[in-house]
Amino acid sequence: MTGSYDLRCRVPQSAEGQSVSEEMLNEVGKKVLLKLLLVISVTIGVLATLPDLYSQDTQNNKGKPDPSLVLPQDVNKPVPRLPDGHPDLSGPWDGCWKFGPQGCYGGGTNNDIEQDLDMKPGELDSLLQPWARELRAKRKEKDEPYVGCLPEGVPRVNPYPTRIVESYTAKGLTHIFILHETGDSGAHRQVFMDGRKHPDDNDLFPSWFGHSIGWWDGDTLVVDTIGYNDKFWIDGKGTPHTEQMHTIERYTRTNYGTLLLDFTLDDPGAFARPLEYTFTFKLLRPGLEMMEFICLEDNEYGSAAGFTPADEGGEKAKQKEQQKQ
Amino acid sequence: MKANRGVLVVAVFGLFCLTVPVIAHHGFDTEYDQSKKISMTGVVTKVSWLNPHMRIFIDVTNKDGSVANWNLELTSPNNVRRQGWGKNDLLPGDKVNFEANPGKLVESRGALRLITKVGENKPLFVRGGPEAAQEGYKEDTTK
Repeated sequence: MTGSYDLRCRVPQSAEGQSVSEEMLNEVGKKVLLKLLLVISVTIGVLATLPDLYSQDTQNNKGKPDPSLVLPQDVNKPVPRLPDGHPDLSGPWDGCWKFGPQGCYGGGTNNDIEQDLDMKPGELDSLLQPWARELRAKRKEKDEPYVGCLPEGVPRVNPYPTRIVESYTAKGLTHIFILHETGDSGAHRQVFMDGRKHPDDNDLFPSWFGHSIGWWDGDTLVVDTIGYNDKFWIDGKGTPHTEQMHTIERYTRTNYGTLLLDFTLDDPGAFARPLEYTFTFKLLRPGLEMMEFICLEDNEYGSAAGFTPADEGGEKAKQKEQQKQ
Repeated sequence: MKANRGVLVVAVFGLFCLTVPVIAHHGFDTEYDQSKKISMTGVVTKVSWLNPHMRIFIDVTNKDGSVANWNLELTSPNNVRRQGWGKNDLLPGDKVNFEANPGKLVESRGALRLITKVGENKPLFVRGGPEAAQEGYKEDTTK
């Protein structure tokens, strides 16, 4: 067994002078290369898809998957449609999926409009009329109507789920209701879809959610609202508004899991110019539904610190009494 | 090995599915002292599934033998239910360990941060959800 052996593969030479073994090796090489390319391309494809699968639509603003939101694989599914072809906006939606030092927000503003809209410190003050700036500085969180279980108004978002109900009757889509889980402190919004106009001034009574009319602009639901009262705060910091407030909301469901809201707030009584922002609602995960919530049931707000909520109306009534005297 | 990884992925995913972040009706900063944290053991006397915020009442025996009944505030009952908590999961008579931020004026009223049944490792409730627990309770205290 000892001795030297030529272990090279002896094969006939090809016409081009290359050995068949080299051709075979080239063929094998090509196959391996092809397989390698396939693996690389599939890997790149999967990696390219990951940002979609784990996009912001399924994450909170810390970049972490949010277990209350739509499943990653469902986010980019097509927008479901109603029998009349319009997008189904029903939800339920989570409008409070971003978390900041002042609380959650996302589908609208919440506890601090300046922070929630990524304004620079002081920017909001520059947008407010002087009286509104002064009132905002004076207000305390404990006096907010919402902590006394009154509604948050618009464009604040409730920290609990929201459902949009498209109500079809024999006459077609006549109403849309925007329901908030916060029940009595969230109430419901009614949007007239039957083509009517806002009432004239004599019949327009200021209310927490105003008078809303809506229509479709292609796949976008437009909601135009006037007739707000001035009782609710735009944020927990006490940003005020007046009864002149006029809002235009444009709701567009961009995919299965996402509802964008292009929001315009025009209130020349309190703001120097209209505010325009885009908010985002995210679909709740299957199985998570709205539940009953009756805020006044056992509201003990303030008890641990020795105060009780003083509603804005009470303060104003007191001021008026003082003015009379 | 692959199977183990699969199991791990499913397990982690399942853990996320069990719980959801907790958001409350209003902030806690105005009422509770976030700079103070108390950790105690006691016996549940009442579980109040009421709005806007759920409450758990716990008897704690002080060093001098007196008993204080703590009134601990959580988030809304709905949000607690979305954390996977059922109505029979905590009952009067259960012995628990808990952490809370005491009230600014009434100390025995607290904002509950964490509650675990004695003898169990997994908390029944964590303010801010599981993410907050992973981050050492650096949760948004206004939720």
